[in-house]
Amino acid sequence: MSATVPAAQRAGVPLAPLLWTCAAFGGGVLLHADRVPPWAAATALLFIAWRLLAARRRSGHPGIVARAVLALILVAAVLARFHTLNGLAAGTTLLLLMGGLKLLETRAPRDEFVMIAAGLFLLLAACLDRQDLARTPLYSLHAWLCCAALAVVAAPTTSVRAALSLAGRALLIAVPLALLLFVFFPRLPGAFWAIPRGDLALSGLSDTMTPGSIGLLATSYDPVFRVQFSGPMPPAPQRYWRGPVLHEFDGQSWRHGGAAEHAPPAREYLGVPYHYRVQLEATRQRWWFALDTLLQAPDSRASLLYDGQLLGAAPLTDPVSFEAVSYTHTRSRGALDERALREETSLPGSGNPRTRALAQAWRARAGSDERIVQTALDYLRTGGFVYSLEPERLGSDAIDEFLFRTRVGFCGHYASAFVVLMRAAGIPARVVTGYLGGEWIPFGGYLLVRQSEAHAWAEVWLTGSGWTRVDPTAVVAPERLQRGILDLLPQELPVRERLLHASPWLTHLLQRWDATNAWWTNHVLRFDYESQLDVLSRLGVRAPDARYLGWAFMAALCGWLLIIARQVGRDMLPARPDALGRAYARLCRKLERVAVRAPHQGPLDFAAVLTARRPDLIDSVRPLLVRYAHLRYAPPDPVTHEREIEAFRRAVRDFRSPRTRGER
Amino acid sequence: MPGAIAAERARGSRFAGLTGALEKRAAEWMRRRQGVEQLPVTLERRRLYILPTRGGLAFAALLFLMLLAGLNYANSLALFLTFLLGGFTLVVMQQCHRNLLGTEVASTNIPAVFAGSTATLQLTLANSGAAARPGLEAALVRGQRVAADLPAGGRQRLELPVAAPRRGLLRIERLRLSSAWPFGLFRVWTWVHTPIDILVYPRPHGSLPMPSESARSAGSRSPAGAGGDEWAGLRPFRDGDSPRQVDWKAYAREAPLLVKEYVQGASELRLFELAQLAQLDEEARLSQLARWVVDAEARGERYGLILPGLRIAPDRGPEHRHRCLAALALFGLEDARR
Repeated sequence: MSATVPAAQRAGVPLAPLLWTCAAFGGGVLLHADRVPPWAAATALLFIAWRLLAARRRSGHPGIVARAVLALILVAAVLARFHTLNGLAAGTTLLLLMGGLKLLETRAPRDEFVMIAAGLFLLLAACLDRQDLARTPLYSLHAWLCCAALAVVAAPTTSVRAALSLAGRALLIAVPLALLLFVFFPRLPGAFWAIPRGDLALSGLSDTMTPGSIGLLATSYDPVFRVQFSGPMPPAPQRYWRGPVLHEFDGQSWRHGGAAEHAPPAREYLGVPYHYRVQLEATRQRWWFALDTLLQAPDSRASLLYDGQLLGAAPLTDPVSFEAVSYTHTRSRGALDERALREETSLPGSGNPRTRALAQAWRARAGSDERIVQTALDYLRTGGFVYSLEPERLGSDAIDEFLFRTRVGFCGHYASAFVVLMRAAGIPARVVTGYLGGEWIPFGGYLLVRQSEAHAWAEVWLTGSGWTRVDPTAVVAPERLQRGILDLLPQELPVRERLLHASPWLTHLLQRWDATNAWWTNHVLRFDYESQLDVLSRLGVRAPDARYLGWAFMAALCGWLLIIARQVGRDMLPARPDALGRAYARLCRKLERVAVRAPHQGPLDFAAVLTARRPDLIDSVRPLLVRYAHLRYAPPDPVTHEREIEAFRRAVRDFRSPRTRGER
Repeated sequence: MPGAIAAERARGSRFAGLTGALEKRAAEWMRRRQGVEQLPVTLERRRLYILPTRGGLAFAALLFLMLLAGLNYANSLALFLTFLLGGFTLVVMQQCHRNLLGTEVASTNIPAVFAGSTATLQLTLANSGAAARPGLEAALVRGQRVAADLPAGGRQRLELPVAAPRRGLLRIERLRLSSAWPFGLFRVWTWVHTPIDILVYPRPHGSLPMPSESARSAGSRSPAGAGGDEWAGLRPFRDGDSPRQVDWKAYAREAPLLVKEYVQGASELRLFELAQLAQLDEEARLSQLARWVVDAEARGERYGLILPGLRIAPDRGPEHRHRCLAALALFGLEDARR
């Protein structure tokens, strides 16, 4: 007898389910390995190794006290690192650690099931954390792995191949439904339960700037946002994308400052309005980037501050997209109000004496603010200044050292020094950080702005014109206005970026890849209620609303279920009898009142039983049964066989069910 | 065993009475729905039932959490993952259902046993489908599950143990076929209502000497259980055979359990009568008679049985033995036969 009791099977091969469980959980850990604190990932992996080792030696399981102590230590460690257990980052870290600990006590299939569920939950956390197109194959593989592990835990004798093929097939069949549900499952317009998404910060601009900080971004190839213009595009030297505006200087670094909101002076917009749509990546910052001067706040989720920067209500944990109208030239004829004037001309009480002296000398000589701006720019242009990504480190009087000694700097240095000069000369001035330029992607018809395009420039208040953009970097390195930093300073970039940029073929490929990513972000990641209604209206629904979504959702689900039920169960029922068999079955049904054919009886035996019971049927029934036996078992005549079957079918149809004796 | 079950039930739930009644109701409903069946039975759709297992329910809860998270963050990837796993679950349901769909229960067979021993229900499953059916399980009501893997087009015989505590007819109303393959998230099951009666002989027990008087012959007798004197050959072991007659040497050579048969002189002839054992209570009397029948048959003697209202003429051989033992098994239980 080959049938065995499942318990016996388990005892025979205890390792396979455990291995799969470890793989499913370990895969989940690896998905987060570069995002959680390194010690946490290492600890989780260590637990997995420990469990496997213990299984091999059949000993070494930690006792309950040891596990409890470990759990307390790990929770404390997470608390020490994050100061909370709430939020995606802390929650994920905790899940990694506690999952690893739970792994140490897995024995029954139930525990293994829990571990696989933890693996799937880690996958969910990874989806919430990062949604890049490049990561989706990884996520798919992990989902596959978890489902295969489920198969092995349920039936430990399942082979690797069988488990993978079972899970893979089931997942593949599920894909069409998943797509339909994705399109039609009604979405919620907003979050109903806000959980902090944690501090998994990405590199990018922030609201503080030291002169060197922007240079750090210059080598990052990551996209920040993409812009699609619906009308004319501003010329390349005008593509200043405004980010954080910095007002406060402490001698070393600039910050946004705690200035109270004050009404911006009335301004006139000059030149052409630019209409465009920005797709902003999830930067985990509150800044939204838009072309120079916005006409108005483009979206209710962000507010336009007095200094022209766009500030979101919360850090961007998901990509956003907004439409905006901007101008690149404005004019204010009024005067700056008192508080703004004080704020935008303030400098630390001491430090950088030579810079102050120089500015005051200019002020003494020059007649107007415009002259001082020009003098400063001339000073930078003719003073032997060099544009470089790797300037020397500066000491405590950073501006003095830069202007009079090193004379080598990046955009942050020039903007910072220029604004300090202006303020020292009594001209209201501020540092604006953001991006300059962008790479034109012909496949998507949009402008791609990468981190490497990060830039800092200055704005000065000139009576009669209002806030005026002045880019001191542009006088030192005028070509920066036309080209990206990657073209400008190739020798200073890391090897990888330089190589990527050197080959036109690779550049082309990268652009394609970015266009794909843009599509992914725009059409998949940002697929929301509005997009659903859009799909419905394209399907011909006149006034689309959630009800139609519900109907479409139900229809998709039911239709798919029907198809699957048919397809999956197709080959499992015994084959339907052929025409001859059906006719025979019909004949037997007609004869049921005389005698029921036993399953083992052949047609001739059956005829014998029938005629023994009802000798009067010998002429009508026996020939039919003999005919059937002949058709079924004799070698068929290829020419007449079909016709004879048809004739037999008709004979059965015309055969009249014999009445029982009682009726006669 | 029934006592054990009752105790277990009482422990299991405060609402044991309620769940028991519900279970009975459900069983009756399914029985009405399906009718009494004749083998072979093909498991078609209308008789398969499927529900999520505990693991399946937990998985559903996990999916619900994932859906909430995806909706809350309006996170497309999380939502797609949830829908994919949801679809996966539905596919798994279909695969689980399909695993039992179309299975044939070809035959059951159950040889009679002595009371107090364990009967073995032999059940043959056949798969005429195009795919293998791994992880099938068969069980009697509250009985142990026995697993089977049926390859495509294959058949397999399963053996289900049944405890037979008392003599008489042990009726198995229905048996359950189920499967949680492939992912353990769902369990599909069906009840096969194919009434099987197991004849349970009385337990051969008692040490009274075999009655020596016989109808025609008063020839010499050997002591009870010692067997006859004339070697007749070997035959397979049957329940109730005395261990002293087993050919242990052959068994040690990995031969099946065989019993040495000796034939007594054909002159030996015995009549066992219930009325002769007035000093014992009824069950003990039946046990003693069974003991004598088994021993006499083992020795190759001719024996007859006289019960109130029934007389079995002396004879010997397996069929005769069965007739006698069956008469003892059913004695006084006529209503049990319906």
